[in-house]
This record gives sequence, structure tokens and C-alpha cells, in this order.
Amino acid sequence: MTVLDYIEVQNRKIAIDGDGYLVNYDDWNESVANALAERENNGKITDEKLAILKFIRWYYKEYNFFPMLSAVCKNVHKPKTCLQEEFYNPLLAWKLAGLPHPEEPLISLLEAGQSPG
Amino acid sequence: MAKLPKPEELSKIDYTPPKTSWMDTPVVFKEGMFCHGSKPKSLELVGFPNPRDWRPADADWKLPENWKQILLEGIAERLEKYRSFRLFMDICVRCGACADKCHFFIGTGDPKNMPVLRAELIRSVYRKEFTLAGKIFGKMAGARELTIDVLKEWWYYFFQCTECRRCSVFCPYGIDQAEITIIGRELLNLLGLNIEWIAGPVSNCYMKGNHLGLEPHTIVGNLEYMLDDIETVTGKRIKPTFNRKGAEILFVTPSGDLFADPGTYTCMGYLMLFEELGLDYTWSTYASEGGNFGFFTSNEMAKRLNSKIYAEAKRLGVKWILGGECGHMWRVLSQYMDTWNGPADFLEVPKSPITGTVFENAKSMKMVHVAEFTADLIKNNKLKLDPKRNDHLKVTWHDSCNVARGMGMLEEPRYVLKNVVNNFVEMPEDTIREKTFCCGSGTGLNASEDMDLRMKGGFPRANAVKFVHEHYGVNMLANVCAIDRATLPPLMDYWVPGVKVAGLHELVANALVMTGEKERTTDLRGEPLPGIEQKEEKA
Repeated sequence: MTVLDYIEVQNRKIAIDGDGYLVNYDDWNESVANALAERENNGKITDEKLAILKFIRWYYKEYNFFPMLSAVCKNVHKPKTCLQEEFYNPLLAWKLAGLPHPEEPLISLLEAGQSPG
Repeated sequence: MAKLPKPEELSKIDYTPPKTSWMDTPVVFKEGMFCHGSKPKSLELVGFPNPRDWRPADADWKLPENWKQILLEGIAERLEKYRSFRLFMDICVRCGACADKCHFFIGTGDPKNMPVLRAELIRSVYRKEFTLAGKIFGKMAGARELTIDVLKEWWYYFFQCTECRRCSVFCPYGIDQAEITIIGRELLNLLGLNIEWIAGPVSNCYMKGNHLGLEPHTIVGNLEYMLDDIETVTGKRIKPTFNRKGAEILFVTPSGDLFADPGTYTCMGYLMLFEELGLDYTWSTYASEGGNFGFFTSNEMAKRLNSKIYAEAKRLGVKWILGGECGHMWRVLSQYMDTWNGPADFLEVPKSPITGTVFENAKSMKMVHVAEFTADLIKNNKLKLDPKRNDHLKVTWHDSCNVARGMGMLEEPRYVLKNVVNNFVEMPEDTIREKTFCCGSGTGLNASEDMDLRMKGGFPRANAVKFVHEHYGVNMLANVCAIDRATLPPLMDYWVPGVKVAGLHELVANALVMTGEKERTTDLRGEPLPGIEQKEEKA
């Protein structure tokens, strides 16, 4: 997971880790998000997706966590299932938002909705 | 997440035992049946032994050279310390009454998931090293050497037991398999053989106060978000307090309910109920975890994580503690907390400020479960309830192992439920109350990489739900356990699509008529209440 890889975006070399997570939070912009989405076969970053990703980034910076899933959708004025519809699962949204490799419990939480009791 | 076989495939269970005897049948690690190994960072943070990168499927587990000595000394120490352990090592007569009672055996057909055989994995080593007969007669006396393969077998099968204790109900000697698994996991912990889905939350809890690793402002932020939703549903703005000194009651609940649905709806339920009562209570962002994943590593770690609850109650100067809906949390609190970190002589015997009921059962521990608290409110006619608001639901009750079988809380939640819903159906009697079937993912096994194991282990529970779903149209599985609220939704989606999962207090809050509230048009999930859609159409 520590293996570094690079993606080329607008003549910049952007570092990602072995699992495809962005290494530096501040490297992110819409083009980088598109490049990450392409790697994950998630199609183009539409305006809807972009609004979600921006909210997730803001929340992460502020709260050091992923926002409650329904809060994400409420904030971008979308139905409660918007994350699943746009990104398959919230973990992919985390990745495309350019957040660093999450800890394992967070992976289960975002990938399968599993929280420890 | 690994691809899961279809239900039709997973339900083909082969109960034919292997041709070789159990001691000669080596353990095979099957993908989807075990969790990821612990990360060094998680172990280092709490000072657990042998932090290193390792993978359970690898041949080399990177153990210390004297691993065998560490384990044997560990067993010797625990035989001295826990009389129950020594007793359970000695008294089994292998009658087999437990054999087909385990959900993991029923779901996998693997004989080593028979509780008797799971215990035998460790008992055989006990006999070899600690009994005269085993030392002299070896295999003939059911004894065997502790080898790396035996150790791997321990690991594989002690993380295929959820300490639910269903087998113990049927054991004529009352052998508590959970205690054997607890000791088995403690021994594995001595070598750093934890799973990350347990070790991660433990280190989070140690650092930040809760399993999820939510920081204080994030806890407040998440609750604020729920308050917005409550306002949308009821028109009322609730203002709970945090870390407030001098409050009468400290409220502690599992952190899972602060993030993930459907636990968040249960959490909204608490907020609404306490508001309506005008309860003088406070949340804590320090003692922000009721659950205790430390309990799935070692008693010592569980004690360390638990200590903050009494400490916070003392710091805030509250009179007593109220606990949210949880399963293993309740067993840890009721059966261990007082001994580990008490006596809590700075607290008072809990007395409901609303009904005046003194909870004599909590005289020593000074903590009350919210289901008992609410049952008492209803019994004393202190809540105005409109169960019709839950008429879109046909509800059945899942007894969570630790609360029901472990702590005997069988009637209180049922009493509450029957007062807040009109449609309640029990599952078949061999699958409820003391004989309840586990969700299949308790004791920290609810990761995302062991879904095969979880769906197999949860099969008997799901099967009973399927029965009431097909015969009575049940569409809601209610419970009082945060792990259940996380584990049962994927179990239902897999085996019984169409059945949702709710905590008890979500249903309470749906039915609760609050002073000054606006006319409710939706339930807490934002779904239209029964009759509302028709009304709108007519208008």
C-alpha cells in the first residue's frame, strides 16, 4: 500500500499509492478527480459528482472523517442514495475526492456500511 | 470486497465429515472466511505484543522464536487466574448436545465449528501439557502437541465463534464456550495474532474515545445533523448538552449509532425521547463509546477501555449512567465493569426522575439500559404514544445474544415494542429468547472481507426471519444492539430481501407524541406515514 505510483495530469506528475489513493490532499483538482475516476472506471466527473466530492473534501478537512452518508446527499440536494448511485459505494467517493488511504475500519464502514458496535 | 457466492450456492451445506480424524485434518484457510491480520500501528498504539505486517494466509506469521513458551505460560497463568477456564478444560464429557446448536456449524457444516470440537482444539493441548493422562497416553487420551498448525487452527476457529453462548444453553454441564473463545483469543493476542477489524477500533477507542475515531467536534457535528432531521420531522429543535458538569445523568451509547444508518435513527430516537421527558442528562465526547472491542482481545484491554465511563461520570459529577441500545456493551458493563473499575461509590443507585422507580438491579453498577428505562416509563403511563404511526411495519424481534441470553433482558424490549407498534410477530420459539440465533458477525467479525463467513453464520437467523416474512409479511427486524444494526441489513439483503432493520428507540420515537410537535407526515427515515399518501392524493 505504500508503493508509489504516478498519474500524469496536465503535465504534472501526481503521486498515488499502490491502492490508487492520492498521496497529497492538495494535489487534487477537477482534472485529477477525472484521472482518478478513469482509473476506477467511474466515468466522467459530472457537476453532480463534483459537488459531492467538494463537500466530502471540505468535511474531511473540517472534521477529520467522512460525512454521514445522508448528510452528503442532503448538502448537495440529492436523494439519500446519491453516493451509491454516483459512485457505487462511498469508499470510491473517498478515493475520488483525493483523500488519503483510509484506515481499515473506515474501509469496512464505507465499503459495506459496517461499524463496530 | 471479495465476491460473494449466490444464496443458492451458499445454502448448499455439506454436513459430511472428513474421512480423516479431526486431529489429522489440517486447517485450510478459505478466502472470505477470515479477516485481515492486525496492522502494526494498531498494536503499537496500545502496547500489544509483536506488532508487524502479517497476513493470515501466509505460511510465515512472523512469530517470536519462543512463541510456544509464551502460549504455554499464557495457558498456565489463565488456569490459575480463571477457575472457569480450568473447569471447562476438565469437565466436558463430549456428549455432543452442543454440536448442532452453533450457527457457524449449521451454516458451514465444518465439524470444527461444533462447539465441543472448537473447545477440543485448546483442550487437547491442555491435556498434553497440564494433565498426567495426556502426558503419558498422548493421542489416546485426546492430547496433542502444540505446533504451528495447531496454532493456525486456533486462530481460524476462534475467529469463527461469536461468543454468542447458544451452545451453553444446551450443555448439561453449562460449559460456557464464550469463555473458552475469550481465553483462546487472549492467548493469540500474546503473539500479536489479532484481526484489524478489532485492533483498529481498539486503538481508535484508546486514542479518541470511540471505535470509529470520531473527534469531539465531529460527534457534535453528527448529532447536529440528526437534530436537523428531527426538526424536519417534528418541527422541534432539540438542544442536547455535551460534557456538562452537574447533569443528573450521563448517557453513553455505541459510537456506531453516531454515523451509520440505521443506528442513526435509533440515536434520533434517544434524542427525541429525552427531550420529551425534559431529562437532565448530558452526552460525553470523552466517554463516547459504550461498546468495547477490547473485550475481543483481552480482559486487560477491555478494562482499560472501559475505565473512562466511570471516570467521566465522576468528573462530571452525575448521579448515575444511562446506557444506549447495545449488546456486548451491556454484557461488559453488567458483568465486568463494577469489578474492573468500581466500586462506583461516588454515584447513586439509579432512580428514574420521571417515575421515581429505583433500579435495584443496578444498585452496584449504577448504570441502566435504555430499554429498561423506557419500559418503566410506559408501565407508569408517562409517554403519549401513537403506535398507528408504525402501522406500515410488521415487526419481529431479534434477541441480541449478549443482552438476551447473556443478561436475561427478554421482556423489557418486548414490552416496549408491543406498546409502540400494532403489528408484532415472534419468530419460531427455538430461535428466540435464550435460544436466539446470533447475527453471525458479532465479537468484531463484521468486517467486509469475511462476508462468506458472515452470511453462513447468519443463515439460521435469516432463515427464521424468512419464515415470518413469508408467512406473516414481516418487513422489519427490530433489536437493541449496535452490531446487529450494522450486520443484519446486509444479512437481510442477502437472504431475505425486503426486510429492514431498526433499533427499538427508532420505533419508540416514531410513535412518541411530543409536546408542541407539528403533525407528522413521515417517519424518522423520511418515509411517508401510513395514510399520509392517500390524504395527499385526496387533497
